This record gives sequence, structure tokens and C-alpha cells, in this order.
Amino acid sequence: MKQRIHHILWQPETFLALLVASLFGLMGQLDPAFIQWHVQRELSTHAWELAIIAIPMTLVILTGGIDLSVGAIMSLTAITLGMLFQSGCPLPLACLAALLAGILCGALNGWFITRMQVHPLIITLATMAAYRGVAEGISRARPVSGFPSSFAWLGQGLWLGIPVAGWLFLGLLVVMLWMMHARSFGTHVYAIGLNSTATRFSGIRVDRMLLAIYTFSGGVSALAAILLVARRNTAKADMGMGMELGVITAVVIGGVSIFGGRGSLLGTCLGILLIHETREFVSWHWNRDELNLLALGALLILSVVFQKLLRHKRATP
Amino acid sequence: MKNSTRHYLSIAILLASITAFLGACAPSPSESSSKTSGEESGRKITICLIPKKKGLPYFTSCAAGAQEAAKDLGNVELIYDGPTDGSPDKQASMIEQYTLKGVDVIAVSPNDPDVVAPAMRKARAKGVHVIAWDADAVKDARAFFVNQASAKAIAHGMVDTMANDLGNPSVKTEVAIVTAYLTAANQNIWIEHMKTHMASEHPNLSLVAIKPSDEDQKLAFKVTQDIMKAYPEIKGFFGISSVSFPGAAEAVRQAKKTGQIMVTGLATPNSMKSYVKDGTVKSVVLWNTAELGYLTVQVAEALATGKLTDGASSFDAGKLGEKKIEDDHVLLGDILVFNKDNIDAYDF
Amino acid sequence: MKGGIRKVFAYMVRYRAAGLFLFIFCLLTLVTLVNPTFLEWQNLRDIAVQAAPICIISCGLMLVLVTGEIDISVGSMMGLLAACMGAMASLSRGNWPPGVVIPLTLGIGMLLGLLNGWLVAYAGIPSIIVTLGMLTALRGVTELIMAGTWITDLPSGIRFLGTGTWLGIPVSVWTALAVFLVSLWLVHQTAIGKRIYAIGSNPHAARLAGLPIKPIKVFVFAWTGLLTGVATLVSVPQLSVVDSGIGVGLELLVITCVVVGGTAVNGGIGNLGGVLCGVVLMTMISTVLIFMKLGEDATYWSRAIQGLFILGAILADHWISNQRKT
Repeated sequence: MKQRIHHILWQPETFLALLVASLFGLMGQLDPAFIQWHVQRELSTHAWELAIIAIPMTLVILTGGIDLSVGAIMSLTAITLGMLFQSGCPLPLACLAALLAGILCGALNGWFITRMQVHPLIITLATMAAYRGVAEGISRARPVSGFPSSFAWLGQGLWLGIPVAGWLFLGLLVVMLWMMHARSFGTHVYAIGLNSTATRFSGIRVDRMLLAIYTFSGGVSALAAILLVARRNTAKADMGMGMELGVITAVVIGGVSIFGGRGSLLGTCLGILLIHETREFVSWHWNRDELNLLALGALLILSVVFQKLLRHKRATP
Repeated sequence: MKNSTRHYLSIAILLASITAFLGACAPSPSESSSKTSGEESGRKITICLIPKKKGLPYFTSCAAGAQEAAKDLGNVELIYDGPTDGSPDKQASMIEQYTLKGVDVIAVSPNDPDVVAPAMRKARAKGVHVIAWDADAVKDARAFFVNQASAKAIAHGMVDTMANDLGNPSVKTEVAIVTAYLTAANQNIWIEHMKTHMASEHPNLSLVAIKPSDEDQKLAFKVTQDIMKAYPEIKGFFGISSVSFPGAAEAVRQAKKTGQIMVTGLATPNSMKSYVKDGTVKSVVLWNTAELGYLTVQVAEALATGKLTDGASSFDAGKLGEKKIEDDHVLLGDILVFNKDNIDAYDF
Repeated sequence: MKGGIRKVFAYMVRYRAAGLFLFIFCLLTLVTLVNPTFLEWQNLRDIAVQAAPICIISCGLMLVLVTGEIDISVGSMMGLLAACMGAMASLSRGNWPPGVVIPLTLGIGMLLGLLNGWLVAYAGIPSIIVTLGMLTALRGVTELIMAGTWITDLPSGIRFLGTGTWLGIPVSVWTALAVFLVSLWLVHQTAIGKRIYAIGSNPHAARLAGLPIKPIKVFVFAWTGLLTGVATLVSVPQLSVVDSGIGVGLELLVITCVVVGGTAVNGGIGNLGGVLCGVVLMTMISTVLIFMKLGEDATYWSRAIQGLFILGAILADHWISNQRKT
């Protein structure tokens, strides 16, 4: 029993939860207005796209891979949506096409990784340039605007007091939690991350799983792009620029090992919360954007240092 | 037991270090400088001035003017903040954040009018006064636009300056544009106006290339070099952002084409002084940025106190005197053209 | 003669640069056919000047990749070093002589590299995380140092590093050449070079063999930091204005060059000849696209074409290395 408590106590998630709690405490001290519910709800709209993409990114990193092209897929799918809408295509159909485009982009990444055996970092670095380039090319770098207000509801509206995008995130999270914990899928993901060769030899179709995970990542990036277009009422080729770094930062702060095989969706959620709250609070309280860069860099490094210390503690009770 | 004490100790140290870190972030100058008024005890008006990109000397000099206006008015608390990476999405997020914070006026120089429009409308719906400055926003998303020069005037000014610098050529003359990002909204509007103006007024100027510099001076330098070699007949470059202009001028200077190839565009005078002096650049197009910042804060304050209402046709802007209002544009005045004779008089 | 050619080809296949070399050759032929001025001395010189700082940093980054680590902080590091250099050298700020500014800039670069290396090797944080954190944090520090103004008055002593020539060849190209030769020496002639490869190709064996893994890792990061300082010194003074956005996105360009040049991100594999080819290819592409005069549409498609080129180069490299295996 004591062992078990010890184990739970020194999980990275516990540490992150404590950190988030103390951050909220600090914010409440410095700026009580910031932690009001309606303020938090409104500010949360800035994070949903990042949060949604962080789910597949967690899976990708758990398998020991990485996907740098998520931001570029967002811009390509946003442009697909925008250009189709502009040419008179009904909006739901355009959204569907955007999702399809995202799935295709993700599948292409997965195909290169599994069939051509190219390292994910390299191939997604290349497709990042290619996808964004194509988005710039087909849109001629022009924005598309003037979406109907019913569409804006998707990005800005509330349902049962919570932003619609938040419900989408929660839905996706629940499905993935179920997949990870109630199905063999989860075990296999961890297995691939820990030792993909051994996993392959134990009869698990590693390539098919990786293909599915990267495709999922592409599709979810498209979903995030649709939400972003709805929220900003504009589709443009520079959307999602730099998104990949934000997402990876959140996942890594959440305790997912960059080498794969260790971490959890719960940790990722806490990581997102931490990075989002820090980002919003620093600019809320100090009104200086450059401090945000400092704070985020330091937060990333410090949190990983502490997680490392914790792992040490857990290993030696 | 001893072990667990150590655990708690490490948590305590962690929390302490984080608190120390956050505490170490010193209070921003906007907070300290705003306490300079000492005038009447009336309610302070919080004005939030958002540039396209924080860290550009152009906007820093605007902010200096704005700061001065806040001091002159006495009842204004000024916040100057914007995205350091110039991202329109982040700018929209900032508008939303300041709306929640309950500032009185938000003055935005929109990086992309379409992207920030929903956030600006939301702010207006919540009773915050929203004005645009430096670059116009979508019309229904703002009350007034503090207009230093319309997009059209800027574009025409640059083309006319170029034609003038080239001696109003009577034969076909090749020119090129080095822009910021391909997706930069303001630059794209200028380019459209420049194209139409060239076609109608200066048919001898033919535009052979538009290249992005991705707001990287080095890349601006490189593409200018490449264009000069690929189009040996080229006679003029427009550097239409404050980063691409010095980059383009440096490329022309290093190619020893000073005097043969003209460079013009928009930039702050300090970064262009050496080029203007050696003749690489004959004229730099800009306006008085400090006055732009000053006027913006004046308009913002007047709007918040009800001194300025829709449909007004003129406005008393303190030390700047009477300014005209056309439609809903508060006009700053003419654009400035810096050249060899007057550039030393400006320091920003 | 024939044997010589075969030998050359065998060498290229062995060092994985063959695909790249062919790629560059085809590209050169194509662009020369369309626009012969591409091969003019002036143009080649300009390309060499653009490639020089990228080549300098790539030489360091390749070693980092060979040890199995990664450094994505070089862009922000260059931004910070440029700000420091500018602030120290500028007539209106520090106005320190070049003899002081140059060693200090190099020293700060090396210190930042040391910090990266220490965090990776001794604190045990994965390098991608350390350098990702640095990428953001250092950019913030740069913004704070610059405080919204740019440095527009670099003294001519410093400007010489970027614009001067010696024997008709720019200082930056000489420097890149020197760095390249030193790196060749380091990799092929010294014990530390062999150890770097040993650590990357089999970390476990290296540990068992008692190699000083941690100091070597610190060394490669510090070396990269130092080289970033060198690159800053020869590239930033090419321009008259030091702004706060110097080096944004540079890390991706450098990594692309190194990876296109056949360096494995898992460590153990990488060669300087390939990296040089990667650098040449990556600096050439955008110039080639301008020289092809593809019209206005090409402006909007150029990023896509560049992306496809990178993709093509990587796949060609993989194809060649697979050929070799079978």
C-alpha cells in the first residue's frame, strides 16, 4: 500500500497537477480577476486547436516519432476549405474535403515513414515545407474571408456553457483514453515506442499502426484548422505557423518522453493547461510579449529537469 | 521518514523557485510610467496600443509619441504591447485578452484586417472603444481610423518617388518589389495599388518580380542580388517593409550599382541614413511616427470621454492642433519624404 | 582513367553524397541551359557568400547529429549573438574595438553551447527539449536586449568581416573554408573525431569501452556554439542594420542542409562532403528559381518547389543508400 502511494505520488502527473495548482494559487494572488470563470472560458478559446492536435501528437511521440508537419497541414487544409467555399461549394462539403485533405497529408507522411523507412523528423521537416508551399501556391497567398456567422459558432460559440471546440476536444480525448486503456491499441503504442523491432517480432503490425497514427494526426490537424478558420473567420496560408513547436512543447511538458514509450494523455492535458495558463497569464499581468518567450523556454527546461529528478525518486523508493 | 521530508523539501524548493522566477519578471514600464500624472483624481482611462509587431523601431517610435500624449493628457494609462513575432492570430488573441481585462480603448494596427476583425467586433460588442491606427481594419470593426496615409497614398507615393528618382523614364524600365511575407495583408494591398498606379500613370515602369523576404534582412539582401543578376536591365527596387528596404539597399550598394539602380520604400530614417548619404537611396517615404502615436492616443482619449463622436468633421489633437476627419478617418497629414537634405533632422 | 572514374563513383556511393551530387549537377545543367549567366563569377561568388555561414554552422551541427543529439537553438543563438555583437560594437552604444568584440562574441557563443551541452550531458535532458527551450528563451532575451530599436551604426572594422575581401575572395568564404578544413581534420585525424562517431553509432558499446561520453557531448555543443559565433561574425556585418529578427528559422535551414547531406538523425552516420553538398543545394535552389524566370506565378509556388526539392533530395539519398545495402 505504502509502495503504491509512493508510486502515485511521484508520477509526473502528480507533480504537474501540483504545479498547475500552485500556478493558479499564484495567479489568484497576483491578479484575482484573471481566474474568474468567464475570463478563463474566454481565454480557453486560444488553446483548443493546440489541445486537439496534442492528442495525436502524444501518440506519435509515444511511438518514438515526431510530426513537424501539423502546422503546415493546418494551413493546407484551411486553404482547401477556403478555396472550395469561395468557389461556391457548400460549407459542410468543404469541411469534409478539408478533413480528407488532412487525412491524405497525414497518410502520405505515414507512407514515407513506414514504406520508405525515412526518419519521421526528416520526412515531416520536408513535408512541412512542401505542404505550406502548396497552400501558398493554390491560394496565391491570398486570404479567404466572409464565412457565414453560423460557421463562426463552431469556433466561437458555447454549448452548455462550454466552447464548442472544447466539447470536440473532450470527445476526442474520451475516445482516445478508451482506446489507450481499454483496447490493446494502447499497449501496442507503448510497445512500439519502447522497442519497435521486438514489437514487430511479436506479431504486431507496427507499420499499419504507424500509418494509422500519422493519418490520424493529419486528420486531427485538419479538424483544428477548421476550428481556427471558424474562430478567425478567415482562411489563410500562414495559419498554424509555428503550431508544431507549441504542440510538441505542451506534450513534452506533460511528461511524454521524446524517445517514446513513456507518458500519458492525462500528462499531455496537464501540459497543455500549464503552457496555456502561463502564456495567457504572463501577457495578462506584465503586458510584455517578450517575457512570454523567456517564461515558456524556462518552463520547458525546468519542468523536464524536475520530471527527471522525480523519475529518479520513483526508481529509488 | 527522512526520505519523505526530502521529498516535501524538494517540492517546496520547486514552488519557491517558480515563485521567484515569476516575481523576478519586473513590473512593466507601462505600469510604472503611467503613475506620472498627478493631475485630477478622476477616473483613469486605460488605452491599449497594439502594434503589428513589437520590437520594430517604427512602432517603438510611435509608442514614444503615444507615451508623450499620455503624459500631456494626464488621465491616461497607456499599455503598449503586441506580438513579437508579428502573428495576426496572436494579435487577435491579445485583443480578446484586453477586452476581458476591461480596458477602455483598444487601438490596433491590424496585421491582417480579416483575421483580427472578429476579435475587434467582439470587443466593440462588450463596450470597448476600438480604433484602428497605422493600418485600417474592416470598416464595421472599428470606430475611427487614425490615418497617417491611406494604403493608396502610400503606394502612389512610392511609385511616384521611384519614377521621380529615375527621372521619369521615357523608355521601358524594369523594377521589382521586395515585400515582407507573401501573406502580409498590408503589403499585398499596397502591391495592388502600386500595380494599378504604374499601369495608369507610369506605363514605362514594368514590374518584373515580386519576391518575399520573410521579414529577414538577409533574405531581402539575397533576393535583391539574385534579381539584379537575373534581370540585368533592372533599374529600381521597392523595399516595402522596414526590414526588406535596408536589405535591398545594401545589396545594391555592394553590387556597386549605386546611382544606376534606385531603391525606395518604407523605413525609419535611422536605418536608411547611410544609404541616403551615399546616394544608393534618393528618397525614403514615411510619416512622422511620433505624431502618429500622439494623435492615436489623443483620439482614443477623446472617444472614451465622449469628446469625439461619430460624424465629427474635425478634432483638436493637443499640440498637433486641429486635425481633419474625413468620413471616419482622422487624418494625420501628408507623408514625409526623407532625402539627403532633411534626413539628419530626424532621429528614430 | 576509367578506373579513376569508377573509384570516384565508389567513393561517392560510400559517402552517400552521390545522389545529391547528381541532383546538383542536373539542376546546374538545367538552369545554365535556361539562363547561362548563372555560371558567371559574380553569381557563384554571391552564392558562396550566402552559403558560407550556413556551411560554418552545419559543420558543427553535423557533429551534434552524429553523436545522436540535435541542436535546434542555433537560429535564436545567432539572433542573440548578433544583438550582443551589435550592442558592443555600435558607435552609439558600446563602441568597443573589434579586437574585444570578436573574442567576446565567440566566447558568448561558446558559453551558450556549453550550457546546452551541460544540460544535455550532465542534467540528462533530451537535447531536442533543451534546445527547443533555448530557441524560445534566447529569442526573448534578444528582444529584451534590443528593446525595440535596431543597431544601425556598425563600425567599419566589424563591417569588414562581412563585406571585405582578401585576394578577391570574401572573408566569409575564407572563414568557411578554414572551418571546413578544421572540421575535416577534427573528424578524420583526431581521436575525438573517432570517438564522436563511436558514441553515435553505438552508445552502449562506447560506454562499455569507457569513452568519456559526457565531455564529448559537451564538446560538440560548445563547438556548435562557437561556430554559430563565427557565422554571426562573418554574416551579420554583411548588412548595415542589426535587427531583432536575425536567424529566425535558421535552425530549420541548417538541419535541412545537414540531413539532406545524408547525416542520420539517429547518430553515427554523417560526412562533411555530403553536408557541403546539402548546403550548396539548399542555397542554390531559391537562386535557381529566380534565374529560371518562371513568371509571377512562380513566386507563389516557390516554397512548394523548394519543399519538393528537399523531399526529392532526401528520397534520392535514401534510394542510393538502400541500393548500397542490397
